[in-house]
Amino acid sequence: MTADVDGLVPLIAAGDAEAFGRWLAGAERRLRESLRSFAAVVDTEAVMQEALLRTWQVAPRFAPDGRADGLLRLAIRIARNLAVSDLRRWDRRGLVDAKEIEGIAGDLPPDPSPGDDPALRAAIEECRRQLPRQPARALAARLEGGGTERDERLAERLGMRLNTFLQNITRARRFLTECLRRHGLDVAGERA
Amino acid sequence: MNGRESLVEAATSAWRPRSAAGELQPHPAWADLDSQGRVEAYEVTRVLRVIETALDPEGLSTTAKAVLARIGR
Repeated sequence: MTADVDGLVPLIAAGDAEAFGRWLAGAERRLRESLRSFAAVVDTEAVMQEALLRTWQVAPRFAPDGRADGLLRLAIRIARNLAVSDLRRWDRRGLVDAKEIEGIAGDLPPDPSPGDDPALRAAIEECRRQLPRQPARALAARLEGGGTERDERLAERLGMRLNTFLQNITRARRFLTECLRRHGLDVAGERA
Repeated sequence: MNGRESLVEAATSAWRPRSAAGELQPHPAWADLDSQGRVEAYEVTRVLRVIETALDPEGLSTTAKAVLARIGR
């Protein structure tokens, strides 16, 4: 993560949600990557969102230690604590193999290639224009929904059955991934 | 698309239900998957979020947008 993103921290601590959005754009991939070892036993999407909310809530009290990525390291610690807490809940109910709990801690994941890579943006816009209509509609609905509406509602709005909607999301993802690969960009194989 | 594939794709949504206390809960589709399916959902989600980020003018994925919606941006 760049010093510019660390430079957003004082704004975030002062309650600037726009700055938090810019920080999120740079932090999300590494946070998700830090939860990889929990993926089989914890819903990492729910953990991530909860951890990011709590990061926002505690940011006014955050004291940087002078090292890079301070707020991201805090977010990762919060996320891992939440994941372990979830894991223990499942474990008490006998739903998790104890072996799966071992070795879940890890270091700060490496900084991935930037999400705002201009080459990726240019290629994906071109690929999106080539998307068949129904997959394009389904993907657009997910994007416009912004994670606040369930798929059943998005599908209904498009006049699709839920399974058809999900099929179209799969088709859109595979089409874009393959199209990007033809542009020399491997978003599926790349470790975020 | 079989039932398992539908569950994996459904679990890639950034939408999550909330508990009575307001905490986010696992997606119902995620809860119905086995370990292998959950790892697959994680990997597919990772790819989708990269795509979403690249498509969004502000570089925000649906995960980021869902969080920002909750803090009232």
